[in-house]
Amino acid sequence: MKREESNSWRDVWRRFRRSTIAMIALVYVTFVAIVALFAPMIASSKPLILRTPAGIQFPSAHDLLGTKEGIEQLAQGRVVIGAPVPHSPVVVDFAHRLDAPTPLHHFGTDDVGRDVLARLVHGARVSLTVAILAAAIALIVGSFFGAIAGFYGGWIDWIVSRLIEMVLCFPFLFLVLAIVALFGPSMYTIIIALGATTWTNEARYVRGEIMRIRELEFAHAARASGASDVRIIFRHLLPNALAPALVSTNFAVAAAVLTESSLSFLGLGVPLPAPTWGGMLSLAEMYIDSAWWLVLYPGIAIFATVAAFNVVGDRFREALDPRG
Amino acid sequence: MAAYLARRVAYAVLTFFGITIVTFTLIHSVPGDPVTFYIGKSGTHGVPPQIVAAIKHEYHLDEPVPKQYLWWLRGIFTLDFGPSVIDHRPAMDRILEVLPNTIALNVIAFALSALLGIPIGLWSASRSGHLFERGSSVIFFLLYSLPSFWVAILLMQFFAVRHQWLPLFGMTSDDYLLMSTAHRIADRIQHMVLPSLALTYAQLAFYARFTKSALTEVIHQDFITTARAKGVSVHAVMWKHALRNALLPLVTLLGLTIPYLLSGSVIIETMFQWDGVGKLYFQSLASRDYPTVLALTVVTAVVTLFASVVSDVLYALADPRVRVEGKR
Repeated sequence: MKREESNSWRDVWRRFRRSTIAMIALVYVTFVAIVALFAPMIASSKPLILRTPAGIQFPSAHDLLGTKEGIEQLAQGRVVIGAPVPHSPVVVDFAHRLDAPTPLHHFGTDDVGRDVLARLVHGARVSLTVAILAAAIALIVGSFFGAIAGFYGGWIDWIVSRLIEMVLCFPFLFLVLAIVALFGPSMYTIIIALGATTWTNEARYVRGEIMRIRELEFAHAARASGASDVRIIFRHLLPNALAPALVSTNFAVAAAVLTESSLSFLGLGVPLPAPTWGGMLSLAEMYIDSAWWLVLYPGIAIFATVAAFNVVGDRFREALDPRG
Repeated sequence: MAAYLARRVAYAVLTFFGITIVTFTLIHSVPGDPVTFYIGKSGTHGVPPQIVAAIKHEYHLDEPVPKQYLWWLRGIFTLDFGPSVIDHRPAMDRILEVLPNTIALNVIAFALSALLGIPIGLWSASRSGHLFERGSSVIFFLLYSLPSFWVAILLMQFFAVRHQWLPLFGMTSDDYLLMSTAHRIADRIQHMVLPSLALTYAQLAFYARFTKSALTEVIHQDFITTARAKGVSVHAVMWKHALRNALLPLVTLLGLTIPYLLSGSVIIETMFQWDGVGKLYFQSLASRDYPTVLALTVVTAVVTLFASVVSDVLYALADPRVRVEGKR
């Protein structure tokens, strides 16, 4: 069983790899993920490597776990390697207000002179953190409800189905906005609001798959060898029922990036001074005719990220089921 | 059929109570209430207790929570959600006042996107796998990934700011009242163009994708292969055999698109200052106008629930397999 499964995943990967566009999208997704992870080292006013009398230091690496931009004193020394984008995303500079792209600020500056590229880099961090955590919550909650509904059927299935039906009746953005607005916008409320409203897709996929495979031989074999329900569901059935839900998780990440940026655009996103792509666009709306770089770059950042996750999800689905 | 109908309606009634309980719990677990809205965030000290009590009484806040829920539940049946905390008019009146604006915008967007999206979906399903179709489906996917508010900004930038062909936002011009009837109509239409385009754009991708996936499912069934084997042309198979069978899930989907449409309306209406339910919802949230927020949430959810019951029943009428399978 183990061997066959790894073989089938290898087949999926082989089919996935054949699509050029899928590989481009996958590379891009990886790129954005790396940018998000190392944002404080990529765009920072602090150097990457600093040589001081006391030895070599990595000032910007300290910010990886949380930015303390502008508060701490830097040690004196010689910059060996500066940050690739040598600007802080939050430090204002009124001398360079609304600068069009120049060699100093490649993507221009915003209304208080912050570097647009630096803000884009740090915005990736916010967007991906929210989107991936929200999608993970949706996957976990959805798999759990889907699995028990599919396995037990009967009244448990009935209750889960009513729950799904209920969530689907609400306009998605109404619920998300309500949770975020009423409990106060923060990264956590946004993640929870998104997770709480999007788990239904995953639940439906997992439920369907579990129903299909619960009567297969290996499930009966597990039962005959004395495995408990919990073990059968989460150890034997769920790993084999997860593929469609994983496809759907790709779309969920894409949708979460879109929703998070819509919330930020409406002013209910991750609060300032955190740079967000949607928040940058809501600012851009005021400079719609004078500062094209404020409109163009954040829009492209959102679009490219969402598109990449969507394409990966779509081609992943095709690779899983070559017929469909 | 009667048994199926009865069961479906009974389920819907239970879901309805679920919806009301969720909405009510959500709103009541939130910090802040209409009292703090009236009096200010500084707190209720210094305010005569009679006034606080009067406000509480008006919104039934002085009663135990289950009783508040029952008051509110009664309001759903009588469509009386209490007065808005903004202007003290019934919340339902405020909603009904702006509802036609949202419907107008969405009907136009729906018609445009269905007229374009369904043929596009049909076309791409019939050529599934061809090089050209694969290319177009990628483009399509890319379009689907554009944030609607960004598209709206670009539309505004091009049509309203740079070229000034169309008004930037609002529903009518400032001098609307001075215009002749013909000019008023023209003015209204001009104001509708950009928001309905922005909405159409978002829905177009949705319909095309759904049509494609509904059709793709049908195409892989045996009777399509049989029809093709008999020598029926691709064109005839797609339009006559496949589309007819895919139309059913397509039509039943319409019920579930209501919440989707309203979600889209929040952003577009807020951006274009269009006085519809989406903008109303957003403003009511910002000002913690509970009666209006609750009314809007519950009314849309109930309308959606009703639409989905109707479409399920229609589906069961058209496709007997559903009823039999449901029995088990």
